[in-house]
Amino acid sequence: MKKKFFKKAAVLAIAGAMAVTSLTACGGSKDEGGKEGDSNSLTMAWWGNQVRNERTQQALDAYKEESGVTVSGQFYQWGDYWSKMATSAAGKKMPDVIQMDMSYIKQYVDKGQLLDLTPYIEDGTLDTTNISEDVVNMGKVGEGIYGIASGTSASCMFYNKTLLDELGITIEDNMTLDEFIDISKQVYEETGYRSNLYHYGLYMEMYARANDIQATDKLGGDSADDYLPYFETLETGIKEGWQISPSQAADTDSVEEDPMVYGSNPDNMTWCTINGSAQLTAYQTAAPEGTEIALTTIPTSDPQKSNYVKPAMYFSVSADTANPEEAVKLLNYLTNSEDAYNILLAERGVPASTAISEAIMDKLSPAEQENANFVNNVIAPNSSPMPPFAVEGSTEAQDLLRKLEEKVKYGEYTAQQAADEYFTEANKMLQGE
Amino acid sequence: MNKSSRFYHFINKEKNVGVIFCLPFIIGFLVFLIVPMGISLYYSFCDYDILSPPEFVGLKNYIEMFTQDEVFWHSVKATFYFALVSVPLRLIFALLVAMILVRPTKATGFYRAAYYLPSIIGGSVAVAILWKRMFAPDGVINSLLGLIGIETNFAWLSDTRTAIWTLIILAIWQFGSSMLIFLSALKQIPKELYEAADVDGANKFTKFFKVTLPLLTPTIFFNLVMQIINGFLAFTQSLIITQGKPMDTTLFYAVYMYQQSFNFNQAGYASAMAWVMLLLIAVITFILFMTKRFWVYEQE
Repeated sequence: MKKKFFKKAAVLAIAGAMAVTSLTACGGSKDEGGKEGDSNSLTMAWWGNQVRNERTQQALDAYKEESGVTVSGQFYQWGDYWSKMATSAAGKKMPDVIQMDMSYIKQYVDKGQLLDLTPYIEDGTLDTTNISEDVVNMGKVGEGIYGIASGTSASCMFYNKTLLDELGITIEDNMTLDEFIDISKQVYEETGYRSNLYHYGLYMEMYARANDIQATDKLGGDSADDYLPYFETLETGIKEGWQISPSQAADTDSVEEDPMVYGSNPDNMTWCTINGSAQLTAYQTAAPEGTEIALTTIPTSDPQKSNYVKPAMYFSVSADTANPEEAVKLLNYLTNSEDAYNILLAERGVPASTAISEAIMDKLSPAEQENANFVNNVIAPNSSPMPPFAVEGSTEAQDLLRKLEEKVKYGEYTAQQAADEYFTEANKMLQGE
Repeated sequence: MNKSSRFYHFINKEKNVGVIFCLPFIIGFLVFLIVPMGISLYYSFCDYDILSPPEFVGLKNYIEMFTQDEVFWHSVKATFYFALVSVPLRLIFALLVAMILVRPTKATGFYRAAYYLPSIIGGSVAVAILWKRMFAPDGVINSLLGLIGIETNFAWLSDTRTAIWTLIILAIWQFGSSMLIFLSALKQIPKELYEAADVDGANKFTKFFKVTLPLLTPTIFFNLVMQIINGFLAFTQSLIITQGKPMDTTLFYAVYMYQQSFNFNQAGYASAMAWVMLLLIAVITFILFMTKRFWVYEQE
């Protein structure tokens, strides 16, 4: 009798555990795909965080009341989002409205997956009167406009202002690489905190733009020598100790685990990191209490050439949508509705419409305001045009760069070896070989 | 008699009844396994980026894999290391626990269920994240080491020597299903053999090595084959805990395949990798079967 009871209990426990794990394994998926041809329903997909999911859903609910159109939202993490979009594009089942990124838009346009918005801008369905021409053109691929920027942002360096204040160091915007290295050495010697300039392969773009060797459909440099200084600075930084290496803290794309805000002591922490400026709120939230995070330009030999204002992300319409008209109307709502932005605020960057960004400025948090100020007043006046859109193979080349940086950090490769391999292999990847 | 003959008649008349009952499986097998496999075999000879139609390129993917792709070899090395180290350790551990739990006590049922749990939850994302935090510089592992006097903030996941071991330990921890199979095999060993051994004056160790172990070899063989196959297909742990870092030492084959397909949009190349993996597993299983007659004790 007792044995039977235990057996039953065991079976129940196992079944329960299985149910739980199957939930964790496939959590997050939602009802997919609206009814095709039904003019009163649309689907929209985005990647993001919890705040974005909630705000977007609220804005879509408000849209339903305003227009009677039901929009069902699908949201994913960045990585999952792109595998999901690629597979649904292959099956001609892409959501009607999708969030798009600079690094993918060209590939999707080249494959004919996105709708050209030009006719809708001309007939006024998509109102761009309050958006500057530069920002509208951010969505221009070839002859058409395939995405409308949700807002603007820029790459930047975040730093632990509290720590630097204690040391009496003030960071000026547009600092050069040499100035940065001097500060890094000083901070490392006095406190043990390191820098994180070579973070996740993000610094290469700044370096390449400053040296006029920005990658297009191939690397911009003529030989590996053009990339040697990049890896040499890294090698020196590791030797001298001021650049953090993975043996002290993992090089991660997660804001919460970034060694600037996460760690147990100065030896495995940094005083700075680089990322997109819209992440200021996220870094400030992740930082320990009493630590103020500030942002400045990324140090390069030529800030004006390196810096650029970029679209935080785009909204695009699928070429396969059954309701292009309705989808574009939703796009217009997400671009020009003050009601929508009273909910969305600046979560997707400083709103593209100047009318909207002025109207909501007071409602923004201090961090969001700081970001807006940074993009509009620090980056914009001292910057160059956006880089050309990433081609297929860029993701792989970026992955290679991260691995090479890692090898130099571990002392496995010399700067020369890394530069040689980067030049030959990344070129192959970009040229689709 | 009447009833059963009518049933017999029915079966004879409707020869297809068996087929009908099998149909749900056959359809699922064809639609979800055979057809996708065929498509993937075709893609493996194509340049296919998911977004545009596949282009036939012959053996290009296979040639590139074996001659140009260094990361491919890193992933093969990491996967072999993981499978060949973690599987034997897991089996030894499973057998040890099974030997303890085979003795019937009041709480045995509870312990069996409890030890089986890691097998179910161990592959989940939640546990992978937990593992990552445990081995972080300020995680539980370092705190525990601090308690016994070893103050450290060693980054277990970032060191090329230790990172893969965190994954191996996680794999060993999931010993439950092998343990259950060992348990039932242990119970089937006839008591008389032990009694006879007692009469002959065998001690515990002799009994284990001369009676238990030989009679378990068929079970060990079965577990070994199944677990090696699972080991080669390991995915979640590497993807979530280490993402292949540091320097590809934990980049499992399946993770690299996933990256190729969904991060780099090279589904053709990934399909080719999948077929190489299939062949690899087939060869290894074949080799294991060849060694069977040297060490597996078969009862007549």
